[in-house]
Amino acid sequence: MTTQNSHMHTPFAATLLERRDLSADTALFRVAPEESALRTLCSFVPGQFVQLSVPGGGEVPISPADLPAADGTLELCVRRAGHVTEVLHQAATGATLGLRGPFGTGFPLEEMAGRPVLLLAGGLGIAPLRSLLMHLLRNRNDFEEVTLMYGARQPKLMLFREELAALAAKGGLRLFLTVDFAPEESAGTFSCAVGLLPDLLKGFRFDAERTYAAVCGPPPLYRCLIGELQKAGVEAERILLSLERRMRCGIGRCCHCAIGQKLCCVDGPVFRASELRQIPEAL
Amino acid sequence: MDKKYLKNGQFSEFIETLRLFGDLHGPTMSDTGVFAFSPVSDPSQLRLDYQRTQIPPKKYLLPFREEILSYREGNYRQSHHHTPEIILFGVHPCDLDGIAYLDRVFLGDSPDPCYAGRRARLTLVGLSCVPDDFCFCSGLAEPPTCDLFLTLQGDGFKVDALSARGKEIAQAAKDLLSLEATGATVPLQRTGITAQDPQLRFSDNPLWDKFATTCVSCGACSVCCPTCYCFDVREYPSLDGGGIRLREWDNCLFVTHGEVAGANFRGSRLERLRYRFLHKYCGFTPLQGMTSCVGCGRCKEVCPVDIDLRELTVNPDQGTESP
Repeated sequence: MTTQNSHMHTPFAATLLERRDLSADTALFRVAPEESALRTLCSFVPGQFVQLSVPGGGEVPISPADLPAADGTLELCVRRAGHVTEVLHQAATGATLGLRGPFGTGFPLEEMAGRPVLLLAGGLGIAPLRSLLMHLLRNRNDFEEVTLMYGARQPKLMLFREELAALAAKGGLRLFLTVDFAPEESAGTFSCAVGLLPDLLKGFRFDAERTYAAVCGPPPLYRCLIGELQKAGVEAERILLSLERRMRCGIGRCCHCAIGQKLCCVDGPVFRASELRQIPEAL
Repeated sequence: MDKKYLKNGQFSEFIETLRLFGDLHGPTMSDTGVFAFSPVSDPSQLRLDYQRTQIPPKKYLLPFREEILSYREGNYRQSHHHTPEIILFGVHPCDLDGIAYLDRVFLGDSPDPCYAGRRARLTLVGLSCVPDDFCFCSGLAEPPTCDLFLTLQGDGFKVDALSARGKEIAQAAKDLLSLEATGATVPLQRTGITAQDPQLRFSDNPLWDKFATTCVSCGACSVCCPTCYCFDVREYPSLDGGGIRLREWDNCLFVTHGEVAGANFRGSRLERLRYRFLHKYCGFTPLQGMTSCVGCGRCKEVCPVDIDLRELTVNPDQGTESP
């Protein structure tokens, strides 16, 4: 059995280097994979996912929040939402974790080259899209206008706020932030729109005929956004959705992540809206 | 001409010969009165008249619960199992088809190490059968996916060696085999079920509602299905700092199957039944368009509320299978 094959089944070791809290329940974990994993992990394309093992907890699919850094370290943005992520949030710096992957399909970067790209993130959906955003900004000349619309429930739940603002200030990124509601105590701390993402999109003028849209967010968000995008003139083939399912194996065996006859872990997690049209249970 | 006929009188000795090649397992009647594949110490324990075992032979390849990884100080290692050579005797054509399907799933791209290890040590001896009212298989695949196949014939069996392993066994048993046929083979007439249109699951067929209101989500149909292989993965730490990761049979009829953090994509019984229909009769990537139902009849036999998903594929006007 080849090394590559065995590591599709057995996690590489990865050391937890640091943890940065982004909100009350979400943190950014920086991990350093073992030397032998670097070659495999470097093939990562934004949109793909890794299976993160937390010893004693189990394994969860996580879409890295950025491409692997030059030293091979990887950033994973994880919300405390279940058993495994709870154990991860309790892990101490220096702990050994496990990584398998990358798995699945990423965003079709070559196809998107030379086009405007509109990223639409809702809540934790910013995590997978951040790796795409970073790729676009690092290869800024290969793409036309890059726009990020990011909606969170309320200001304190908005992740990467300062960082995104700094990126936008450098030019090269049009940034629109919105919150569902702003409690009084947040008044004056931070400025952004109040309202839902689809409403923000409604008033937005862009080159819909040529734009690629990348969407990631909680399940109810997709339907509204696809509708708005299509109304604006973005074809379903150019609407890319990063979907969430609970992949247990990541390699098309356990059958928990089926979307119609497709498996989210091998055919996705990035799908075109056109692929999902016939699958009512997809969104 | 090959000597390939086994008379009933030689059967016990033939079984003893099989035993030379590994631990012999076959259809027996359990203490609780159900047919089960289990270890056989004496040929008289074998029940050649069995229709179907309660649990299909998938248990030899995908144990109900199996350790796949272990870890110590955070480093994961693949678990190695000591799997004995097993000769599984008396597997009917439907169950052989079931194993052939599992082989496609687990031995395709990036073969599953645990499955591959067990499969390499499993010798399959097929046995022809006489269908009952629950059976709806499409008959014997050509060639059947087994090492040796025994066809019931008059007062004995026709023995076909179908793999190198099978030929090795036939060679060892050559003194027990003869040239003369033991009698005529009874041809089997089978119906089978072909791959179905995926859109059928969203049809307004009133059967869907009937099924959804009667199904109790017990999951028996999936447990006893020879091609149901969904699994869940769990991890158990031990007090010494190490731990193990297990995989165990999961069940698409259970409400937890479609859960993600904060949502459930198959929260209703109707959605879960449709999911089962889709996987069984239409297939998932990369086996789309292939039915994995082998017609063994187990799900129909065990369902406590008499649900038969095949009713959906029957043309109500003619009462026959739609093409």
